[in-house]
Amino acid sequence: MPEDLTVRERILEAGYACVARYGLAKTTVEDVARAAKLSRATLYRQFPGGRDQLLREVITWETGRFFGRLAEAVAGALDFAGLLEEALLFAHRAIEEHDVLQKILVTEPERLLPQLTVESERVLVFIRRFLVPYLEREELRPGVEAEEAADYVARMLLSFIGTQGRWDLTDPEQVARLVRTELLAGVLA
Amino acid sequence: MTFVGEQRLATQEQRIIDAALRCIARWGIAKTTLDDVARQASCSRATIYRLFPGGKDALLEATVQAELARVFSELSRRLDEAGDNFEELVVAGITCAAQELASHEALQFVLAYEPEVILPRVAFKQADRLLSVVTAFAAPYLARHVGEEEAPRAAEWLARIVLSYTLAPATGVDVRDESSVRRLVRTFVLPGLVHHQQVRQ
Repeated sequence: MPEDLTVRERILEAGYACVARYGLAKTTVEDVARAAKLSRATLYRQFPGGRDQLLREVITWETGRFFGRLAEAVAGALDFAGLLEEALLFAHRAIEEHDVLQKILVTEPERLLPQLTVESERVLVFIRRFLVPYLEREELRPGVEAEEAADYVARMLLSFIGTQGRWDLTDPEQVARLVRTELLAGVLA
Repeated sequence: MTFVGEQRLATQEQRIIDAALRCIARWGIAKTTLDDVARQASCSRATIYRLFPGGKDALLEATVQAELARVFSELSRRLDEAGDNFEELVVAGITCAAQELASHEALQFVLAYEPEVILPRVAFKQADRLLSVVTAFAAPYLARHVGEEEAPRAAEWLARIVLSYTLAPATGVDVRDESSVRRLVRTFVLPGLVHHQQVRQ
């Protein structure tokens, strides 16, 4: 099994490199096999659904890596508000600087976005689980439960990470104000 | 006379747009042809081309604009009913917007079967345009309560809530249901809007 995991990881990494180079529409199973230095048969063994499954899982894999990096980046925050501020600053920058994402959003958004919307359910669960322990340590406003607050905050985080709207999420002062008002005013006591 | 003429034209345009919506709700955007729409509207293809020069793309664009206008006018009606009470205004706005989206058969068909058509308009940077359209509509209603300066951000916030809970429904929150929205608004939104007000003062 561990060997299988390594093979899988190698394929996903190669798949990601191919998507970065050729885009989602043009990446083939042959491209990925060549990049991973594996046979097509090995790829099909790992991804019986072929190209569609492989590309879906590449997107899931990179989304997971992105939010893993985000979680790591904010792990040292002093308090909950500080954690959310760092999360917004980091994630906004990371999205802007994510060359593969930015390229595909311009060239083939119609192929990526349906999948990312499906992913967003999974991402919401991930962020919620990440936030709950922090919320349980904070004093919440009367009547507010950690779980529902985590869901609300996760949604707002995701919304702002994707689209900054009227806020400037490169400006720490604005981010601090955003967190105090729209994210936490109803959550923390 | 001109006025009557324009009215009649507008009515026929509207009939074609209604027909397009019914076709899209049944077959989706890709499979809907101008022949389908013409048959549904009981008019000729030539009439559609005359009223929507550019054919299918022009008709689709006009349909989106007409539907936005219709939803905004419905929202206006509900917001006016809500009157001067801030909580009622916010609850009515979110609930009405969510209900309009959920009950929109053409939109729901496209979201379910042709998401690639819609999502590029509501995700990442492209969503800025959608948010600013909604904000321009809703800000004047909020300005009385949170001030001119804060109103656009407050409006954008409410638009984000509608979008998030509509595209990824939550367990325990139903944004089409007034009492569920009221709870959400009282818990998470009003304290922040009050905060916006304080920042202003």
